[in-house]
Amino acid sequence: MTALSSGGLTSGVAPQGGVSSSGGLRRFGSARWRRRNLTFDKISFFLVFLIIPVAFYIAFVVSPFVQAAYFSLTDWTGFSPAMNFIGLSNYGKLFTDSTFLQAMGNNILMAIVVPIVTLGLAMFFATLVTVGGSARGNIRGLRSSSFYRVISFFPYVIPAIVIGLIWSQIYDPSAGLLNGILTRLGLDQFASFAWLGDPRTARWCVMFVIIWGLVGFYMVLFIAAIKGVPAEVFEAARIDGAGRFRTALSITIPLIRENVQTAFIYIGILALDAFVYMAALEPGGGPNNTTLVMAQELFTTAFTKGQFGYACAMGVVLALITLAYAGLIFAVNRIFGGKSEVGE
Amino acid sequence: MDITSRPLGRRDFLRGSLAAAALAATGSLAACATSGTGTTSQTSAPAGQVSDTNPFGVKSPSTVDAVIFKGGYGIDYAEFAGKQVEAKQQGVTVKVTPTTKVAQTLQPRFVAGNPPDVVDNSGAGLIGINTIRDQLAELTDVIEAKNYEGTVIKDTLYQGVTEPGTFDGKFIVLNYALTVYAIWYSASLFEQNGWTVPKTYDEMLTLGEKAKAKGKYLLGWGKEAATYYQTMAIGSAIKEGGDEVRLALDNLKPGCWSLPPIQDVFNGLKKIIDAGYMKPGGSGTVFTAAQAQWSEAEDFILYPSGGWIENEMKDQTKSGFKMTGAPEPTVTSNSKLPWEALHSAAGEGYIVPSQGKNVAGGKEFLRAMLSKDAAVNFAKTKLSSTIVKGTVPPDGFGSTALQSQIKMLEAAGSNIFSWTVLNPADLYGMNTDQLVVWNSFLSGDSDVAKLTKGLQDITDKVAKDPSIKKVQVS
Repeated sequence: MTALSSGGLTSGVAPQGGVSSSGGLRRFGSARWRRRNLTFDKISFFLVFLIIPVAFYIAFVVSPFVQAAYFSLTDWTGFSPAMNFIGLSNYGKLFTDSTFLQAMGNNILMAIVVPIVTLGLAMFFATLVTVGGSARGNIRGLRSSSFYRVISFFPYVIPAIVIGLIWSQIYDPSAGLLNGILTRLGLDQFASFAWLGDPRTARWCVMFVIIWGLVGFYMVLFIAAIKGVPAEVFEAARIDGAGRFRTALSITIPLIRENVQTAFIYIGILALDAFVYMAALEPGGGPNNTTLVMAQELFTTAFTKGQFGYACAMGVVLALITLAYAGLIFAVNRIFGGKSEVGE
Repeated sequence: MDITSRPLGRRDFLRGSLAAAALAATGSLAACATSGTGTTSQTSAPAGQVSDTNPFGVKSPSTVDAVIFKGGYGIDYAEFAGKQVEAKQQGVTVKVTPTTKVAQTLQPRFVAGNPPDVVDNSGAGLIGINTIRDQLAELTDVIEAKNYEGTVIKDTLYQGVTEPGTFDGKFIVLNYALTVYAIWYSASLFEQNGWTVPKTYDEMLTLGEKAKAKGKYLLGWGKEAATYYQTMAIGSAIKEGGDEVRLALDNLKPGCWSLPPIQDVFNGLKKIIDAGYMKPGGSGTVFTAAQAQWSEAEDFILYPSGGWIENEMKDQTKSGFKMTGAPEPTVTSNSKLPWEALHSAAGEGYIVPSQGKNVAGGKEFLRAMLSKDAAVNFAKTKLSSTIVKGTVPPDGFGSTALQSQIKMLEAAGSNIFSWTVLNPADLYGMNTDQLVVWNSFLSGDSDVAKLTKGLQDITDKVAKDPSIKKVQVS
């Protein structure tokens, strides 16, 4: 799955593939092809591996999406079969709704900060654990690196909701661990300081929790990717005189580019959602709504306010933002010289 | 069909599936979709014989499908009432199903036209009544029927308990558990220190100083419960300014939060906050933890809340803490309603969907709940009164909080008031937005002007939204 091997493969096969694919197309159109190839084996293969999955996908993924998109054009309350078609007015309302716009802003900030910090840290630790060790002898990580690998994965094993609940206790102004430690150190201004209740700190505190919970997972992901790079490449770089930082920047990251891209997309989607963490840490949207996320606003609008049509419009906007984010990551990767395709 | 010979097609496919996967991962969008709208089955069950013992004509045999919110009160009291129905009506069985998230559980059933026969619509996840009120049966005949002892139910209820469940003249929500809104304190602690219960905001300020001298705060709050102070403030303002204030708020009048009585209350609270008598950090504290700071650690001495507080904090109350309630303070001593006037509205809103299969059965279930055995059972096991009078003995089953509730109700006489829009039904779902404004006010980060503007903006947003049906309150 590394860029190296896939690059080699593609360059070897591509010209040949171009030719035969056009030939294949021609063959596909001919009657002889159809007769000869529609055996029972082939049909059952199509059925099991293509038609049934696609049918499931349409029934359980595509059709709810289409339905939700339609509901976003109605004034459906969610509790009766009756609804009126009201065109785009839900969307009009959405872009003048200051609460929703604030939630969108919070999400976008999180989708910028959380991936960069998490993946930066994960990459740093992954490098230390795999190639950051002694400068003599074989390329290896720091001493007892497998121990760090296990430790750093721990937070990811805990469900997100539990992480949220643990940290909401740690941040508790009167009985929390954090203020306990700070006041013990003599920082009395933190006595009863509401970390999750102060508009200056709340959003950074929740982002910290999300990052804390995810660094381990992405670190393990990057370790696996780096292990797939032949050690000779790193050795060659070292012989050429590259230091650890230069190696990470010029060798590691370009070679595991596709993994980084995938990681960015996953964690970005998570940051654009963040519902679980917020439900535990800031169920009410935080001080002055500074931690309100779109998914929370959507949930309240649907179930508490009984405006499912409007909530569906929020869902559509959230989905579009997510797609735009994924597109942006692809574009950035391409601009910086990556292949635009997904890894093979 | 050699796979390696068609790299472009495969890549397009992978690219497409990645985009689809990204879309699927957003998830929230799909959450909006329904499972399909079923056909609406019309109210069906042919009625049974109507008689004095069977006033709604429950068919026999039939099943009553009751969905009960499982919160502070549990569901055993409802199962008890179900047994009563089964004993009185031969052949009728009652199926009690607990739920903790009423709206999420029942939403598909309402859409499919197949709702339960009776629902306890309560808790944080309740269905906003405004969205389903067209689909609910009127309950006037329930309270006009005779209970199992032969008395007309209406005559056994506390005053005014049907008002909060009446929308545009239709009585559709039967709020079962009587809730007294008060400020709660430990009578033992007050006695020890020679403190008296404050009757106005100025007296509260003085008490705050005395409490400070003992190293305690006057008040405190938790982030999910910041609007308890709004409830207290509105209660005080209605006592001060009378019905005019209540109607302005209930009907979402422009500028309603700027009415002088409300402003006076806000200013009174602001003085307490500015004097540092409010325990800091509430906006970052889970409300049950904040309440334990009051009932267990006694870090602060007064807490505005509803009568459920005793049951809620049962396991986190210091021994010897004589939990006692006092009416919400007034602004001045010559208010329109006396200090003894009491804000009381029942909670646990029972509804009977008109499309249920056994509407008569749902009503029969409510009749059982309002009869003596079930009502006494509730009071005894939950240490909280129902809307049925005379079910609590003078010793309050040994609970000081329950004793004081009954005393306050008696002292208030006919001066019992409540309102429709903000509490307990939260008709338009404004609580979430209001919490934000109140948290910053209570923590001292904003002032009266900002609080007023914040609340007014929330109110105006609902008032101006044509997609929200309004209730006219008079």
